[in-house]
Amino acid sequence: MEQLVQEIKSKLENNEDFLLQRDYLADTAIILLGFNTLVDFVKTRAVLQKHAESHLLQNRPPEDLWNAIGELIEGNVNKAISSIYEGKLIIHLADTDRSIIMEPVSTMLDRSIETPANENVIQGALNAFTEGIDANIGIVRKLVNSEELIMASYSTGQNRKKKLSLLYLEGQADTELLKNLESHIEKNIHQDISDLQGLAKMLGFPSWSAISKFNTTELPHHAVQYLKKGRVILFIDRLPFALILPSLLWDMFAIENDRNFPLPIMIAIRSIRIIGILITLITPGLYVALVSVNPEVLQIQLALSVAQSREGVPYPALVEIIFMLVILELILEASVRLPKSIGPTITMVGGIILGQAVVEAKLVSNLLIIILAATTIANSTIAGFQNAVSIRLFKYVIVILASIYGLLGLVSGLVIIGAYLAGLDTYGKSYLYINVKGNESNGR
Amino acid sequence: MADKSLHVMLMYIISHLGLIFFMYPGNIISSTSQGHWLPILVGILIHFIFIFIYMKGLSYFPKKDIIRIYSEVGKGTAILFIVPVFLYFSMILLITVRAYSEIITIVFLSETPLWAIMLLMISISAYIASKGVEVIFRTGLLLAILFLPIIIFIFFTSFQNVDWRYAIPFDANFGFLTKRTYYEGFFAFSGGFLFLGFVQPYLSYKRKHVLWAAAFLIPFFIFSVYVPVLTFGQATSSTTFLPYVVAVDAININWLMFDRVTMFFLLSLISFIMLFLALVSWKAIRILSHYLPSIRPVKLLIALSAAVFFSCFLIPDWKDVEKLFWWNTFLRFYVLVAIPLSIFFFGLRMKGKDSNETV
Amino acid sequence: MKLFKPKSKASITISLLLAVIILSGCWDIRDINHRVLPVVVGISTTDDDLYKVFLKIPEPVEEMTKVKIVSGTGETISKAVDAISRNMESSVDLLHVKVIMIERKTAEEGVKDIIAGFMRSREVSSKALVTICDQDLNEFFSILSTKELHGTTMLDFFEKNAGWNAEIALTRVWEVYRSIHSYTRDVAIPLIAAGKTTTYEQIGSAVIKNGKMVEQISNDETLLFNAFKGESAHGQIEVLNHASVMIIGNNMHHHSELTEKQPFLQSRIKLKVVILETRGKTTSATIKKELSTLLTGRFAEMMAKLEESEADILGLGQFYRNKITRKELKNWRSEYYPNLKMDMQFEIDIQNEGYLRTT
Repeated sequence: MEQLVQEIKSKLENNEDFLLQRDYLADTAIILLGFNTLVDFVKTRAVLQKHAESHLLQNRPPEDLWNAIGELIEGNVNKAISSIYEGKLIIHLADTDRSIIMEPVSTMLDRSIETPANENVIQGALNAFTEGIDANIGIVRKLVNSEELIMASYSTGQNRKKKLSLLYLEGQADTELLKNLESHIEKNIHQDISDLQGLAKMLGFPSWSAISKFNTTELPHHAVQYLKKGRVILFIDRLPFALILPSLLWDMFAIENDRNFPLPIMIAIRSIRIIGILITLITPGLYVALVSVNPEVLQIQLALSVAQSREGVPYPALVEIIFMLVILELILEASVRLPKSIGPTITMVGGIILGQAVVEAKLVSNLLIIILAATTIANSTIAGFQNAVSIRLFKYVIVILASIYGLLGLVSGLVIIGAYLAGLDTYGKSYLYINVKGNESNGR
Repeated sequence: MADKSLHVMLMYIISHLGLIFFMYPGNIISSTSQGHWLPILVGILIHFIFIFIYMKGLSYFPKKDIIRIYSEVGKGTAILFIVPVFLYFSMILLITVRAYSEIITIVFLSETPLWAIMLLMISISAYIASKGVEVIFRTGLLLAILFLPIIIFIFFTSFQNVDWRYAIPFDANFGFLTKRTYYEGFFAFSGGFLFLGFVQPYLSYKRKHVLWAAAFLIPFFIFSVYVPVLTFGQATSSTTFLPYVVAVDAININWLMFDRVTMFFLLSLISFIMLFLALVSWKAIRILSHYLPSIRPVKLLIALSAAVFFSCFLIPDWKDVEKLFWWNTFLRFYVLVAIPLSIFFFGLRMKGKDSNETV
Repeated sequence: MKLFKPKSKASITISLLLAVIILSGCWDIRDINHRVLPVVVGISTTDDDLYKVFLKIPEPVEEMTKVKIVSGTGETISKAVDAISRNMESSVDLLHVKVIMIERKTAEEGVKDIIAGFMRSREVSSKALVTICDQDLNEFFSILSTKELHGTTMLDFFEKNAGWNAEIALTRVWEVYRSIHSYTRDVAIPLIAAGKTTTYEQIGSAVIKNGKMVEQISNDETLLFNAFKGESAHGQIEVLNHASVMIIGNNMHHHSELTEKQPFLQSRIKLKVVILETRGKTTSATIKKELSTLLTGRFAEMMAKLEESEADILGLGQFYRNKITRKELKNWRSEYYPNLKMDMQFEIDIQNEGYLRTT
C-alpha cells in the first residue's frame, strides 16, 4: 500500500471510527479515508458515482473529474490528516502520490433551526441561531440580502481548529473598530477560543471587567438590526448565538423587537426597563440605608411599620439583606441547574415556603421580602441575560456602601457605578454611546 | 474630533450647581441686608465677563491646554501663573472635602466620623479622576440624567413657602463690596470654570454653548439666595448657617413616601461635588505630571489624594475652614482675573506676531 | 486617549473593598428597631428652672402600636432626652418628632431658646408642629396614657389629609423661628387640652410674639386667621342665627396706604359658601348680610385684641414693606401696628344651596 495511506493509517488507527475503504471511480482504483462518525459514506459514495457517470458519458478525461470533486494535493500527509479531522473525505488515487480532499455528505450532527431557547420574543420572528456556524451565517445572509454584507472567516486555535467568523456591513461598521478587531484576531490566531473568556482574551479585553464586552443574541433579527446600526457580529462555531460588538449600555434597555410595537408603547416598555435597572440597583441599598442609618427619611407611619416588622430580628440590616440575597441567588442558580420538570418545585419551595417561613421565624422582616421580590422581578426586565447578571453584581456594592454611609453611600455607589460604566470602552468606543454609526453621538 | 459641547455644558452646570447651594446663599445674605439682587448680579456679570475673556483667549490656542500655553510663552510666566493655579486647586480640594464632609455630618450623618466621609469623598473622586478626563465627562452625563431631575424638581418645590413680599425693599447699595463674606461667595463662581482651558486637547466645544450653560445657571444663583430670603425674611435667614438647605427643609410634601426631601437634594448635589472634586484633582495632576513626567500620573494622584486627606486633619473645626476660605479668596481672585486676562493677552500677542510674520 | 492606565486595577478594587468591609460597623449604627421614635415631645419648666420633657412613643406590640409616655428632667432639652434615653432599653431618636407641645406657663415665659435649639440641631425636623398645652403637662400626659391610643393620633389631629380642620392653626417650628426674628410677622399656635370625650380639644390659639405667648384668640378667630393666611378654609361650618354654611373657597384683595406713620389697610375678602342648614325662614340675602356683619364684627374684635398686644399674626406688616424703610420696619410692631386702621369687607357668594331651594 502507498506510503501516504500507510502514514495516515498509522496516525489514525487508534480511532475506532476511522474508515479506510477501497473503491473504483471512473475505472481508477481509489482509497477513501475519513471518519464514519463525520462522513456519511453510503451517501457520499452514491454522489461520487453519479459524478463519475456523468463525466464518463461526456467522455471527459478523469483528470477533469478529480479537479471537479475537490482539492487535489500531492503528498502532504499533515494536510490530509487535519482535513480528516475537520470532517472531510480524502480520496487517494491508488498508485499515485495524489489525493483529493472532498467535501462529503456529512452525518446530521446539528440541530435544525428552532425557536429561541433563552430569549423570548413577543410578536416577532421566531427562528434562532443554532450551533452550526454555516447555518448561522446563512440565516444572516438571507436576512440582509445585500452586497454590503462582508464576511471574514478565521480558523483559530493551536491544535484543535475552531472557526470564527466576522460579519459586518460595509460602509456602516466603524473602520477603526474593524481594523482593531482584525489585527487582534490575526495576532492571537493561535489562542483557544472555545468560550467567551477565551475570545475576550484573544481580542485583548480586560478579563476583570464586570460587564461583558459582547452583547449576545440568539435572534437573527436582532443580530441583523445591530449590523445595520454599524455593529459587528462574531460567530464562533458551536456557539448558538451571535456576539455583537461593541456592547453598549443602551442594549440593556432596548430590544430591536420593541420596534414591532407602536412608538408610545415602545417608549413605555423601554422606560419600564430603565425603572427596572434603577430599582434593582437602588432598593436593597435603600432598605439598608433607611433601616440602619437614615430612618428619618421615612414617613413616620412607614417608619413605625418597618420598625414593627423588624421587631425581633436579631442581626443588623446588612446581614439580613445579604443573607436573603444570597438565598435568592441560590434559588436562581438552582433553577438554572435543574431539569425543566423539577424547576417549578424549586420556585415553590424557595419562593413561597421559604419566604413565608423566614418571616414567621422572625429571621428577616417582611418588608425585606417585598423588597427582594421587587428587586428580582425588576432585575429580570433588563434585556440580555449577561447584562442582568452584571447588574445583579453591582447591587452588592451599593448595599455595602449604604450599610456604612446610609443614603450617602447609596448615592456614592451610584456615582461609582456610573463612573465604572463610563470608563468602559471597546477599542475606544465608549459603553455609553447610543449607537456607533457615523459620528460619535451623545446620550446614554 | 467630535463636538462634545453637551458634555462640557453639563459638566459646567453640574460643578457649579454643587457649589451654589451650600455656602453661596449664606455669604450673600450676610453681605447685605436688602436688595440682594445687586450683589448676585455683580457676581454673575463678573463671571460672564471673565469666562468670555477666558474662552476668547483660549480660542487663539486651539487644542492646547493652559499648561502648554504658559510654558510656551516662557518659564517665568509658567511659574507666575501655573504655580498659583496648582495651589488654588489643592486648596479647593482641601477646602471642599473638609467643608462638605462637615456639612454632611451636620445635616445627615451625625454619627459617622468625619474621616470616614472624607475618605469616601476623596477615594471616589480619585477613582473617577484616575480614569481620565473623558470618563469624568461621561460620568457627568450619567449623573446629570440621574440627579438633575431631582434637583430641578426640588428647586421648584422650594418655592412652596415663599412670601414674595419679603423681596421688598428692592433698593440696593454697594455696601456689600466692603464685606468679607461677599468675596468668599465667589467660590461659587470661580471654582468650576478653569476646566475649559484644560480639556481643549481632549474635547472640543462651542463657546456659545458654554455661555448658554452659564445662562442656565443664572436662576439658580438668584433663587438660591432669594428662596431663603423669601421664605424666612432677611432677618431670620441671616441667622442660619446654610440658608437654602434650611429653606428646603421647610418643604412639606405629603404625597411623597419620604419625609425629608432635603436629603435627596443634598445627596444629588454631593454626587455633583464628587465629580467636581474628580475634575479638580485631574487638573491638578495634569499640572503635576507636566513637570514631573517621570512619575506615573496614577501615583501622583494617589499621593495628592493622600496629602489632601491627611491635611484635612489639620483643620480641627469650622472656624478654621472659614479662615482657609478667606485666605483662599486672594488666590481665587488671582485665578479668576489673572488667568483669563493673561490667556487673552498672550493670545492677542501671538496673533499679532503671526500676522506680522506673514506680512 | 486615557491619561492613566493603572495595571493593578483589580488589586486596587479589592483592597478598597476590603477597607470598606473593615470600616463597616466601626461606628455606632443602630437599626430602626433599636431606636425609640417619639412622635410628640412635651416641654415644661419646673420650679427650679429645669426642663421637664415628656415623650410620647408609639411602641410596636404584636400586631398594633401602643403608646408609651415617658418623661425626664434636665437643664437643657437634650440633657433631659438623654436622661430618658439612659433609662430605656433602646436609645431615643428625636428624628421623627412631629408635634412639639409646650406648656402654657413655659410659653408665657418664652420659647426662644427651645425653638432655636430645635432649629439648630437637625434632629427634629423644622417641619414639626408647635402647640401649646393649656393644662399642666403632667396632667395632660397622664390623661393621655389612660386612653387607648393609636400610635400617631396626635399627628393625625394636625395632618392636613386627616384630622385637620380650619379652626386649627397649623404652625411649624420654622415659622415660629421666623417670627422670633422677623420684624413684621408673628404666629398663632393651637392651644390644646385633653378632651372629655375626644382625645384632644382645641381651646383656641395662642398668639406668640417674639417667642412669648402674649394673647389668646378663640377658635372662631383662628378660622379668620387661617382664612387670612390663605390656608383653605374648606370644610368649615359657620353657625349663624338662621343658618350654617360651609366655606369652600376664599380670595382676598388688599390695599395698603401709609400717611405719616398711620397705616391704613383696606381688605376685601371674598368667601364662597355653601348652605348646609337653615332654621326658620331665611333668604339668601339675609344669610349673606348676617354672615358679613358677623365676620366683620368678629374680625374687628380680634384686630383690637391683637393691636393691643402688638402681635402681628396676620403678617400685615408685609403689606408695608414697600412703604417703610428697612430701618423703620424694625419698629413696625411698636410704632405702626397699634395705629393700624383696617377696613374689612366680607363679600359672600353663595355658590349653591344643596338639593333644596332657598328663596
